[in-house]
Amino acid sequence: MRILPFVLATGVASLALWAQPLSAGGFHAMGERIVSSQVISDTAIDGGVETGGTSTGGTFVGDLGGIAGCLPRTYGYPDLFYNYYTQGNCNSTNAQMYIAPVPVPPNVGHTFYTYQPFMPHEMLYWHKDRFHNYYDGGRGMNHTKVHYYAPPVRQAASNVYWNYLRIPR
Amino acid sequence: MKRIALIVLVAIASAAGVEVQGGDPHAYTQLWSMREAARRPWHGNHYYLPYGQPTALVVPPTAHMRQTYSWGVSQNLMYPIHHQYGRNASSPGALPHGSFQATPHWPSHTDQFGVYYVRGPW
Repeated sequence: MRILPFVLATGVASLALWAQPLSAGGFHAMGERIVSSQVISDTAIDGGVETGGTSTGGTFVGDLGGIAGCLPRTYGYPDLFYNYYTQGNCNSTNAQMYIAPVPVPPNVGHTFYTYQPFMPHEMLYWHKDRFHNYYDGGRGMNHTKVHYYAPPVRQAASNVYWNYLRIPR
Repeated sequence: MKRIALIVLVAIASAAGVEVQGGDPHAYTQLWSMREAARRPWHGNHYYLPYGQPTALVVPPTAHMRQTYSWGVSQNLMYPIHHQYGRNASSPGALPHGSFQATPHWPSHTDQFGVYYVRGPW
């Protein structure tokens, strides 16, 4: 079944009056997910996010990070892209979801989806999704709600064509 | 009065039922699929010819069942699609070539083509 995606994304930056603790899994079950600013990629990043010590990646010269009593200016380190993998204990091999169906060699090159609502697997079915990002120690929240929608009449006509009228070849 | 109260109760229950998806408010089928997926591989023991590995075909997470076809009477079977993509990086990765069987010259089952359904993440 093909669903023509009509993505309506509304981004609302508002104060989080009811900031909740982040779930461990990174997303909730009922279509609400937390886009964390932490690095969750499995590739090592130079000047990373380790805190403490002299080589903290979060503080640089000029952002007041070293002055006592001052809050440094922080910003997220969002992962460029994170893949999805098959789960379970009984697999002899595992499949990653992107790049589908198989990864290409590095010299071939490929593109990333850096905006989670546009990832193609979201276009597979009719649903709503909410993306939350808490920042500034929980005082700020960025909220994006997305409706993945297929117009029913056009979808029905498309199904009739692809399932009944199209000549199989 | 009692009948009116019953009607109101039924109306509230049906209105609340609209909110949940598919009449499964506690996601029992989700739990069932997770448990079953932990106990069995997502793939069969055949590779997909163009890639030399079993290849996952991403289906919507709302997909429930898969159909297999084979020769003979009562060999057309339906199975639940248990496996779903998750965010945990998993091992092992791809196995060396030759770890899986090729599609026979005369295939007798749809699983022998090496393409297996995996539901996309929520």
